[in-house]
Amino acid sequence: MLGTLQPPRTLSRFPLYLTSRPVTLCTLTAQSPPSTSPAHSQILSIRHSLLTRQVTAAQLAESYLSRLRLTEPHLKSFLHVSDSDAVLRQAALLDQRIAGGEDVGPLAGVVVGVKDNICTADMPSTGGSRVLEGYRPAYDATAVRKIKELGGIVVGKTNLDEFGMGSTTEASAFQVTANPWDVSRVPGGSSGGSAAAVSARQCVVSLGSDTGGSVRQPASFCGVVGLKPTYGRVSRYGLMAYASSLDVIGCFGSSVADTGILLHAISGHDRLDATSSKREVPDFASQFASINLLESKPLKGLRVGVIRETLDEGVDAGVISAIRGAASHLEELGCSVTEISLPSFSLGLPAYYILASSESSSNLSRYDGVRYGNQAVADELNSLYGDSRAKGFGPEVKMRILMGTYGLSAGYYDAYYKRAQQVRTIIRKSFKTALDENDILISPAAPSAAYKIGEKIDDPLAMYAGDIMTVNVNLAGLPALVLPCGFVEGGKVGLPVGLQMIGAAFDEEKLLKVGHIFEQTLQNCRFVPPLIEDDTAW
Amino acid sequence: MGSRALLMLKGVSSIAPKNQIFNFNCKSSRSSNSSFSFSQVVINHNKNNKVRRCSTTTTQSSLEPPDVSRLAETARISLTPSEVEEFAPKIQQVIDWFGQLQDVDLHSIEPSIRADTEDSNLRDDVPETFENRESMIAAVPSYEEPYIKVPKVLNKE
Repeated sequence: MLGTLQPPRTLSRFPLYLTSRPVTLCTLTAQSPPSTSPAHSQILSIRHSLLTRQVTAAQLAESYLSRLRLTEPHLKSFLHVSDSDAVLRQAALLDQRIAGGEDVGPLAGVVVGVKDNICTADMPSTGGSRVLEGYRPAYDATAVRKIKELGGIVVGKTNLDEFGMGSTTEASAFQVTANPWDVSRVPGGSSGGSAAAVSARQCVVSLGSDTGGSVRQPASFCGVVGLKPTYGRVSRYGLMAYASSLDVIGCFGSSVADTGILLHAISGHDRLDATSSKREVPDFASQFASINLLESKPLKGLRVGVIRETLDEGVDAGVISAIRGAASHLEELGCSVTEISLPSFSLGLPAYYILASSESSSNLSRYDGVRYGNQAVADELNSLYGDSRAKGFGPEVKMRILMGTYGLSAGYYDAYYKRAQQVRTIIRKSFKTALDENDILISPAAPSAAYKIGEKIDDPLAMYAGDIMTVNVNLAGLPALVLPCGFVEGGKVGLPVGLQMIGAAFDEEKLLKVGHIFEQTLQNCRFVPPLIEDDTAW
Repeated sequence: MGSRALLMLKGVSSIAPKNQIFNFNCKSSRSSNSSFSFSQVVINHNKNNKVRRCSTTTTQSSLEPPDVSRLAETARISLTPSEVEEFAPKIQQVIDWFGQLQDVDLHSIEPSIRADTEDSNLRDDVPETFENRESMIAAVPSYEEPYIKVPKVLNKE
C-alpha cells in the first residue's frame, strides 16, 4: 500500500489490479503478443517501492541508466545524457530524505527525459539545431523547475526535429532517432526522442512539445501515451518558441495514469508566460483511484463523436480498423458512439502551415549569432547574421522561415496570414459545436503507422500531409490524448496505432478518465516493444 | 514505398462544405481528376516534382510568386545559389498549396490571434533583475567586457 506521508499534491490509493471488468479484444492484424495485465502506473509503483523500502532511488536510477546505455546505440533518443554521478547523487539525496521520514514529492525517484527545445540550466539545450550547439541556458523552463521541485530526476535531453519542425527527427541537425518497435522506422516527430525514450523504458516519463501534433503522432508511432494539454494549461516559459500561438509542452508516459500525474506536476499559471491560464488545475491524478472499473458500463452516458473526415481514403486500412475497434470498445464500456462531421477540416492543414511558418520566421529571427549560439566569422554585421544563420539552420528550417517571410511580407499578410487566422476561427467554432454535442471526439493520430526512415524526406507536402489528424486541435487550442489501441502489420510483432481523443478546452480531466478506463479494459494488447527484455516490472 | 501523389480538393464556401475531403493517393504518378459539382482547383503533384494546376472559374491569385533570393535577404539567411535553386520549386509548391485558402468564403469571419484569450494577463510595468547574468554573458560568443562585440555595420547604398 502507498505510504501515508501525503504532501498536498500526491495521490490517493490506486487499485493496481482488478479481476472482473468488461473486456474487448484489441484489433490485431499481426501476430498478437502474449496477453498480460494492462499498463500500470510506474510512477505509483516506484513511489510504493521507495516508501516501503523495497528499493532505493539510487538502485532505480541505476537500472534506468543501464538500460539507457544498452539501448542508446540502437535508438539514439538522447542528444545529451546526464552525468551518471550527478543522477545518482540526486537519487541518494532522495533516499536520505525518505530514510529520515521526510515528505517527498509525487515525482520522487522518477527518471524524466526532456525534449531538447526545453531549457535546462545545467545541461546543453540545442533545440536540435547547430545554431545552438553547446548552448547552456541561464534558467530552467518552468515545467522543468516544477519536475525537479517535485522530486523528478532529469536524465537527459531528447532528440527532436530542429526547432520542432518535422515529423520524424530526420530534421535534427545531429542524429535520427529509431523507433523501438522497428529500428529501421521513424519514431515520429518532432518529439521523437521523448516518445522513443519512454517506449524503450529509458526513462519513466518525458516532456515533449506539440505545435501541430509533435507529441501525439510520435506517441502513436511508438506505442506510448501522449498528452497535448489545452493551450495555456502549461507554461511555455523556457520552451524555445516555434509558433507562439500554437506551441504547448506535452507529456509522454507508458500509461495514462503516469501521463496524468506528470501533467498535474507541470500545469498551472505562470506569471512568466503571459498566455498561461489562471484557471484552476484540477487534481488530474487522484481521480484514477475513484474510478470504479468493476462496474459493467463505467462510461455509461458518455457521448463520443468519431470524426468522419479522419477515416476517409488516404488513411491506412489497418489504422481505420484499429480506430473502429477502439470505437467498439468504447461502446462496450457504455459510450454512445456516433459519426460526426467537422466542416472545413481539410482547410486546417494549409492554415496551420501558413500560421506556423509565419510565426516561426519571427521567432527564429533571434538566432543571429550575436548573443548566443554559433557565430560565423564575418567582417560586417549583415554577413554575420546571414552566415551564422545559413550555417546554423538546416534546410527544413530555412524553407519554413522563407515561406513565413513571404506570408508576412507587406501586401501578402491579408492573403495568407490573416486568412489563415480566419480559418482558425472557423475550425474553433466547428470543434466547439461538436464538443457541445459530444463529450469527446476520436480519430487516429496519424494516417499510418511508423514508416521507414528516409521514406518521406524529399517530399515536403507528403510529410506535411501526415499532420492532417493533429493540426486542427492546435488551431483550436484544445487538449488531446493519444493512447495505443491496436497494431498493424510491420516490424517483428506489428506496429502500434494510437487513438486520439480530443476534449473541450481545459477538460483534460475527462480525457484522462476515459483514457484510463479504455486502457485498463483493453485486453490482449501489450505495448512494450520487442527491443526491451521482457521484464514484469515494466 | 515511393513518393506519394498528393491530391488536394479545395472546398468552396464554409456554408455548404459537403465535399471537404482530404485525399491521399497511395500510388505514385498522376492521379485522375474527379469531377464535382462545386467549382474547385486540383493541385496534382507527380513524382517528377512538377506542379500541374487546373483552374476553373475561381480567380487566380494576383500575388507575385516568391523570389527566394529576396526573401533570403529579408530573413538574413545567406543562401548559396544551389540552395536557392533547390528551395525555389519546393517553396513555390507549398505557396501554391497555401493558395487554396484564397477561394474559401471568409466574408465576415473574425481572425483569431490564438485559440482563446482570457482577461489581460499582463504584469505590472516594473523592472525586475534577472539573477543569473553570468550565465547569460557566458553564452555570448564574442564578449569584451562590458560589450557584446559585433563587426562593423555597413550602410547600404
